[in-house]
Amino acid sequence: MFVKILKLMTVIVLVSLFLKRPVHSLTWKDTTQIHGFASQGLMLTSDNNFFGDSEDGSFDFRELGLNLSIRPTPDLQFSIQGLSRWAGEANDGNLRLDYGFLDYSLIENEAGTLGLRIGRVKNPLGFYNDTRDVAFTRPSILLPQSIYFDRTRNLALSSDGVNIYTEYRKGFGNIFYDLEVGYPKVDNQETELAFLGPNAAELGKLDPRISYISRITFEPTGGRTRFSLSGALVNIKFKPASMGTKEGNIRFRPLIFSAQYNTEFWSLTSEYALRYSRFEDVGKPTFSITGESYYLQWSYRFLDNLEALLRYDVLYQNRDDRSGDRFAATSSAPNYSRFAKDWTMGLRWDITSSWMSRIEYHYVDGTGWLPLLDNPRASETNRYWHLFSILISYRF
Amino acid sequence: MKRLFLAVSIAMTLFSPFQSYSQEVIVHRDVTQQEIPRNTLRAIFGMRLRKWPDGKAIRVFVFRDDAPLHVEFSKSVLHMFPYQLRRAWDRQVYSGTGQSPIEVESLEEMQRRVANTPGAIGYLSLNRSMNSPLDKAMKVIHVR
Repeated sequence: MFVKILKLMTVIVLVSLFLKRPVHSLTWKDTTQIHGFASQGLMLTSDNNFFGDSEDGSFDFRELGLNLSIRPTPDLQFSIQGLSRWAGEANDGNLRLDYGFLDYSLIENEAGTLGLRIGRVKNPLGFYNDTRDVAFTRPSILLPQSIYFDRTRNLALSSDGVNIYTEYRKGFGNIFYDLEVGYPKVDNQETELAFLGPNAAELGKLDPRISYISRITFEPTGGRTRFSLSGALVNIKFKPASMGTKEGNIRFRPLIFSAQYNTEFWSLTSEYALRYSRFEDVGKPTFSITGESYYLQWSYRFLDNLEALLRYDVLYQNRDDRSGDRFAATSSAPNYSRFAKDWTMGLRWDITSSWMSRIEYHYVDGTGWLPLLDNPRASETNRYWHLFSILISYRF
Repeated sequence: MKRLFLAVSIAMTLFSPFQSYSQEVIVHRDVTQQEIPRNTLRAIFGMRLRKWPDGKAIRVFVFRDDAPLHVEFSKSVLHMFPYQLRRAWDRQVYSGTGQSPIEVESLEEMQRRVANTPGAIGYLSLNRSMNSPLDKAMKVIHVR
């Protein structure tokens, strides 16, 4: 694995050196850009495991990415990014294609843009999903887990299909719209556990069906405020392990409202999400459940290179059973596994424009977003827990 | 050395009691526009509008995020904070939906690159009539 990444890095360094030659005529080489990032985190928890054996301190949180983009004509761009992520039991550093697509703009002028992206495209969900694995673009070491939880991150990452994007530029501001039609990623252990429960392996497999994601963003003139509404209709087929059992369907419809206000020194961000899921013939009688999440986040830049963060983040697995009591009555898992309320404090220090470091403290009530693979036995978890984290990141 | 030059030039710009300097948007001579709406300029420096009306590729040149000239340009010309530009660029660069602008180190490099790159756009603090050979290869574009 490391050898592969090293080889790739070497090639890219050589290529970029070659590209550094000063050329003034505009060729495809001038529009070639290579960027990348590397982050290493430390997780320390009082109870429960988050990204590895964090009760003893875990360094099992690492993100590496490398991307290439070429713009041979003003209308056409090719982009590709390889990503490798280590995060406890769920992510073991496997190199994967994060995105890889052709972007063609049909219309592009002062009034707006209309374009198409074909290939593997990042899912346009909320403010942070598009670049969720890039530490520099996150507001904190861990994204607000109520909305960007890691349990179904593979599902949220990217889809293989077509993305239509538009932008209207008007005097009152800009409106952006994205529509993506494609196949999400569901055939992995973490997603199967999240949807099917602890006996996922015995129950069966998940198979993606054509799904839709769209996001509309409004930025009134100047971009001080941003409003976004994203929604998805994710269709998944359930293929039972035992012969003779009927195939099932899962429909997952998340809806996210996002808002942000920016001033020179501080930003206030909030997102609210509802997640509708409907399970049809998936091991038990058909049922529906609605999850609810929200956070309020305040970040303050008291120096150009120093930023503080305060956030309150809430997740309910079932908004009709917020306390989890009804769930616990018929399950071996505790009621507190059905919610999580997380107070976060953090500090970001931009050492240079390419080096950044962060420290962060979470006080969490509930285990609603605790990674299932890191905590196989719900009965061994604790309701109230602390998480401390340090991260160092480099990008170019 | 380049940094020093940049710092001195900017300091002179900011503290000179005798002359008034202004932030100007400069483009390569082949760009046909005489003026540009502010919202269009924001789309260009936000790396979302990537070609001129005649179809030529737009090439964006900027100073470092913390360069006083960049901070001033973002705030007074684009009416944005530098961190907002950075966020927008990062979002595009690391999701493959866009590219980053080209960063230059000095006033001299800004002039040279804008003058030598067809479709280029950048910004400077100007206090004189433009008549050097480099100046002739670029022009000031008015923001409305």
